Amino acid sequence: MHIHKFEKIWLIFGVATLLVFLSVIGVSAFYLGNQPPSCLATINPEKVDTTAPFDKPGLNKVEGKEWDYELVYVASAFNYNPGEVEVPLGAKVKVLATTKDVVHGFNVAGTNINMMLEPGYISEYVTTFDKVGEFLIVCNEYCGAGHHMMSSKIKVVE
Amino acid sequence: MAQPRLEKRTSTKVEDQSSLKGTLASVFLLGFFLIITWVGVFLLFVNRF
Repeated sequence: MHIHKFEKIWLIFGVATLLVFLSVIGVSAFYLGNQPPSCLATINPEKVDTTAPFDKPGLNKVEGKEWDYELVYVASAFNYNPGEVEVPLGAKVKVLATTKDVVHGFNVAGTNINMMLEPGYISEYVTTFDKVGEFLIVCNEYCGAGHHMMSSKIKVVE
Repeated sequence: MAQPRLEKRTSTKVEDQSSLKGTLASVFLLGFFLIITWVGVFLLFVNRF
């Protein structure tokens, strides 16, 4: 079979590009440990208030972990607990959130913290808050009549 | 005065009809455009918290 020289060049380039893109996903998942926000961690949605760490919503300092703080959120129709929280600048934080009733969203506007909260599952995201300011948390999964009123706030302070 | 005869003769190079040079160039342009925009968006994503 005859393949034009230019076609060979293009085919090799295309296959190489595909391999690079697939490697990016592989490195991200298996070397950097990136995973979906809700990944195998479960909770009884009826006992959220008595299950650690969700019995203490808010910013909790932790020792001996890869992150300095755990920021715990409990969502329910139609609010987040806590309603407002202060985070020190530069803190490495693991955000943990779950819902007591229906599916909610958890989007810290303008950041990569964007998760779906499903009843029975814990959603997590580890990040470093390296920008001062007020960040609005909104629900971006329609959850009922008060969906548009559902919000919370993170203040990153020095 | 009218010119009796065209003296000037222009010679144009005619590429072989089956040449794929332009195809290769345009397809690489498209390929690099896709890669650059993809990397740009990826960097925007990675550089915010």
